[in-house]
Amino acid sequence: MENFESLVSVAPWEFIFTICNLLILTWAVKHFLFNRVNQVLEERRAQVETTYAEADEAKTSAEQMKQEYETRMASAKEEAASLVKEATQRAQDRSDEILGAARAEASAMKAKAESDIAAERRKAAGELKNEISGIALSIAGKVVEKEIDADTHKALIDDFIDNLGDAS
Amino acid sequence: MEVSITGARIYFEIPILGGIPITETIVNSWLVMLAIIGLCLFLTHDLKVRNVSKRQVVAEMFVTTAQNFVNTNMGEKFAHYGPFVAALFASSLLSNLLSLIGMFPPTSDLSTTLAWAVLVFVLITATKIRTSGVLGYMKGFTQPIFVLTPFNILSELATPISMAFRHFGNIVSGGVISALVYAALASLSSLVLGLLPGVLGDILSHIPIFQVGIPAVLSVYFDLFSGFMQAFIFCMLTTLYIGNAAEE
Repeated sequence: MENFESLVSVAPWEFIFTICNLLILTWAVKHFLFNRVNQVLEERRAQVETTYAEADEAKTSAEQMKQEYETRMASAKEEAASLVKEATQRAQDRSDEILGAARAEASAMKAKAESDIAAERRKAAGELKNEISGIALSIAGKVVEKEIDADTHKALIDDFIDNLGDAS
Repeated sequence: MEVSITGARIYFEIPILGGIPITETIVNSWLVMLAIIGLCLFLTHDLKVRNVSKRQVVAEMFVTTAQNFVNTNMGEKFAHYGPFVAALFASSLLSNLLSLIGMFPPTSDLSTTLAWAVLVFVLITATKIRTSGVLGYMKGFTQPIFVLTPFNILSELATPISMAFRHFGNIVSGGVISALVYAALASLSSLVLGLLPGVLGDILSHIPIFQVGIPAVLSVYFDLFSGFMQAFIFCMLTTLYIGNAAEE
């Protein structure tokens, strides 16, 4: 004959056992499940944090490098610009110098040519004068048929031609 | 046909301290305990930080779910209640589900649920006393006016009793209804099949064919749904009561 408890009853020993069971089970669940899993979760969290920190560090250094590179690029551009400017300036100076020299030479040549022309002209005028006076003397000699005091008349003729030349 | 609905079977008595009866409740709750501890050991075997196994995912899910439940209902400062609530929920749920495989659920014994409820009551009271001191705890009973003191004491005592009986009643009623339905189906099946003529009717009327399949529908509600709900409600009340106890 099996014994049964009645349907609604409280058995003291079961009551005590159940409380003990629950406390033991709580300890077991804490020890075997929660502590172990939480430890792994904590480790994973720490690893993730480390990874993030490393990534941040890498990003910072990359940004720093980028900035450095940009600074360098900017200074290089500036330097190039100043080089070009300097070269342009130098070329300008040089061309000015050459132009100036050429202009001076040309004006010198022009002046020389002008003076040459003037000298030629004077020379030609002198020669012409002499020739005309010679011609005039010989013409006059022939006309008067007598000896003219050449020197006296030459002075007269020269004077005449000079006046003629000035008037022309 | 006689239907007898009783409590736990008493296997034997240990003849010390006036006789300690070893009942189905105790044996089955030990089995539940062993199952839970075994599950914990199985799930947490070989935990890794990376490349986790499916088993570990389940273990982490259990822990984080339980911890979130406790943190949400009780607040961060009661985070250390996680294992207790998890243990309570697991034993309640597995005990309730024992009826699925035809075993006696320890939660259909009032001793079990009352023990849990009393333990929770002790925790509630301890939290209240820790929060507001012994005098503050006493004084809490006279709020909002002195006249309400008896009612306050009653409502305080009602807490564990209602928790215990709610859980117990839901599970035991499932068992009772299942037993009645099984008995009814056996009678019906012998009645209907007994109408068959000759030897066939004699033989078949002794086999309760109608018991196949039909009780499974009830089992879905009483064993699965109700079993889960009661475990959840018990833990929900536990966390809320202890959490509220700290707010006064």
